[in-house]
Amino acid sequence: MRSPARRALVAGSSALAVALLTAACSGGTPSGTAASFDPDEEVTLTVAWWGDDDRAARYTEALDLFTEQHPNVTIQRSFVAFDDYWTARATEAAGSSLPDVMQFDSSFLREYAGTGQLLDVSPYLGDEIDTSQLADELIDSGRIGDAVYAVPTATNTFASFYNPAVVEELGMEPPSEAYTWDELADWVAKASTAGADGDPVLYGSNDYTGVFWAFLQHLVQEGVTPFTDDGQLGFTREDMAAWLHTGDDLRSGGSFFPVQRQQQLAPEGGFTVNEQALEMSWDNFLAGYVASSGTDDITMLPVPSGSDGEKHMFARTFQMAASAHTEHPAAVAELLDFLVNEPEVGRIFGTSKGVPATQAQRDAMEIEPGSVDERVVAYEEEYADQITEPAPVPVEGFGALEAEFKRLGEELAYGNVTVDEFVEQWFSLAEDQLG
Amino acid sequence: MLLTAFPMVASLYLAFTDYDLFHDPSWIGLQNFRDLFADSRFWTSARVTAIYVLVGTPIKLAAALAVAMLLNMKHRGQGAYRSIFYAPSLIGASVSIAIVWKAMFIDDGIVDRIAQVFGAPAGGWVGDPSKTMPMFILLATWTFGAPMVIFLAGLKQVPAELYEAAAVDGAGPARKFWRITIPMLSPVLFFNLLLETIGAFQVFGSAFIISGGTGGPADSTLFYTLYLYIKGFAQFDMGYASAMAWVLVIVVGVITTILFKTSNAWVHYSGDNR
Repeated sequence: MRSPARRALVAGSSALAVALLTAACSGGTPSGTAASFDPDEEVTLTVAWWGDDDRAARYTEALDLFTEQHPNVTIQRSFVAFDDYWTARATEAAGSSLPDVMQFDSSFLREYAGTGQLLDVSPYLGDEIDTSQLADELIDSGRIGDAVYAVPTATNTFASFYNPAVVEELGMEPPSEAYTWDELADWVAKASTAGADGDPVLYGSNDYTGVFWAFLQHLVQEGVTPFTDDGQLGFTREDMAAWLHTGDDLRSGGSFFPVQRQQQLAPEGGFTVNEQALEMSWDNFLAGYVASSGTDDITMLPVPSGSDGEKHMFARTFQMAASAHTEHPAAVAELLDFLVNEPEVGRIFGTSKGVPATQAQRDAMEIEPGSVDERVVAYEEEYADQITEPAPVPVEGFGALEAEFKRLGEELAYGNVTVDEFVEQWFSLAEDQLG
Repeated sequence: MLLTAFPMVASLYLAFTDYDLFHDPSWIGLQNFRDLFADSRFWTSARVTAIYVLVGTPIKLAAALAVAMLLNMKHRGQGAYRSIFYAPSLIGASVSIAIVWKAMFIDDGIVDRIAQVFGAPAGGWVGDPSKTMPMFILLATWTFGAPMVIFLAGLKQVPAELYEAAAVDGAGPARKFWRITIPMLSPVLFFNLLLETIGAFQVFGSAFIISGGTGGPADSTLFYTLYLYIKGFAQFDMGYASAMAWVLVIVVGVITTILFKTSNAWVHYSGDNR
């Protein structure tokens, strides 16, 4: 009994090692050169994404259109929520059986690409995958060294959302576009004081210092590169502590939306139940905010300015990636091209994944005046000149580090940890993850 | 056999490695175990689970025994009552009940409103770290069906003559319970205690749903298995998670052994002349 088990273990791990080795040598494609798409070969592809029913309906429509145009291709689909999605992918990656095509997030790029799980699509760029409408920096968001492991389908920018009805009820004016982080803190304090006697009690904001991307945005504004090229942290314990301390008065004064209530509302939040005036998030959240809150005129502002008065914003890309172990790389490339360039796909998805990366897809969107799509596009266009920085390329284990930041933020709000303990615990996980 | 043995051997091996699912496992000896005992969240999860086992299991067994005794009395429609009382156990471990449970205990949920009628301060239980454990124990107690059915079967085996003889001797209900029911039921009680204790160590589904997989608020529902899951599948530290799994195996093994050792002193097998 013991020896077959051990043999299987050895066989399993050596198979994995061989697979990783092959992938590393060949850069992902079996031959190192691009195969071309054969329209007569019967091909079955698996496609996976995270998201809700709404997104699933959009994918279904888009993928049906693809199989209509390519009758030889059959597509098997699967989707789950974001967290479960990565659990499933990690397990598949361990068995070298990732789906052929996956919706992807750059937070996980280094883990998957660095271990030979993702297909290097660079041989197909400019060929099967038309790149004439893709800006170089968008392509670079999927690049590690000379290889490109993910293609951009849309862009997202960080923003402050406010609910005009709540702001008015508080008797306040929304923050001005030129606001700084200090002015934001003052504004939140005033708003929460004004809302304290309401029924329900209204608040200025949730604790934005516990939002990892807000911290990263702040670092970029102060000239700190959050993650270095060799995959290490570019900021110090002192940087993080200083950032968290900016929320001290608001936290002790009860000005942030209470964490207890936030826990109970999840997956909704204070902002979507119209009890909180402002929240920071990615601009493609607008559709969700409007739908959950039932408030049509949710408005977006750029993030607060850094100490030099500039915004230093960056755009992240929403990506698609492919498995290095796919049997049909040419068909995969064909599908990636379709998802990036096909105008109909732009119409189908709108801005639900962010602003489409190609002009053809942006033009194809049926934008009603005043619609969510229009406002998201307008936001990214209006502030395009302030989107001046490259998006931080996440380090390995970024997903876990972001989750830990959020967890510690809650502990901080409950008063269970001090800022110093927060920083200490976060860095201890980071050092563990980054080795 | 192989289907059980292989994963166990593999996880024992992984417990001594640094393995993130992506890179090959690398042997690090006892490092995972050293990290484990220095990890404050590990101790938090151990404490949360210990409270759940020590407080939740006796309450659940007491409830199961009480209902079993009620259902053992003879009156009409007894079969229907048994089914009704068993029903929560069929659905209690399901995802939907955890969701309903959460809805009952949030701000302005039904529990909050009833509590306010009795003068309790307003506020749901889900967001208050001091009230989440009572909520979980209630949920566990509510699903007493399986031990109840076993108790019921045990009660049916107690010879009626014993009670009749005791009645003749002038014993009251309390005396009959302590001197006849409990000793005669002790093998069943022991069996239930063992199963429920082991089951309580493994609680996962309801904790995962109610806290959204985080163990929150403020780690107050960070059950051992949930932390194990977070380590393995959210932070991709499979070696660490495997080490945790083996610590759990050892702890449960030790507790089971202790229960068996002490059982000689209090479990009475009828027909046994010792």
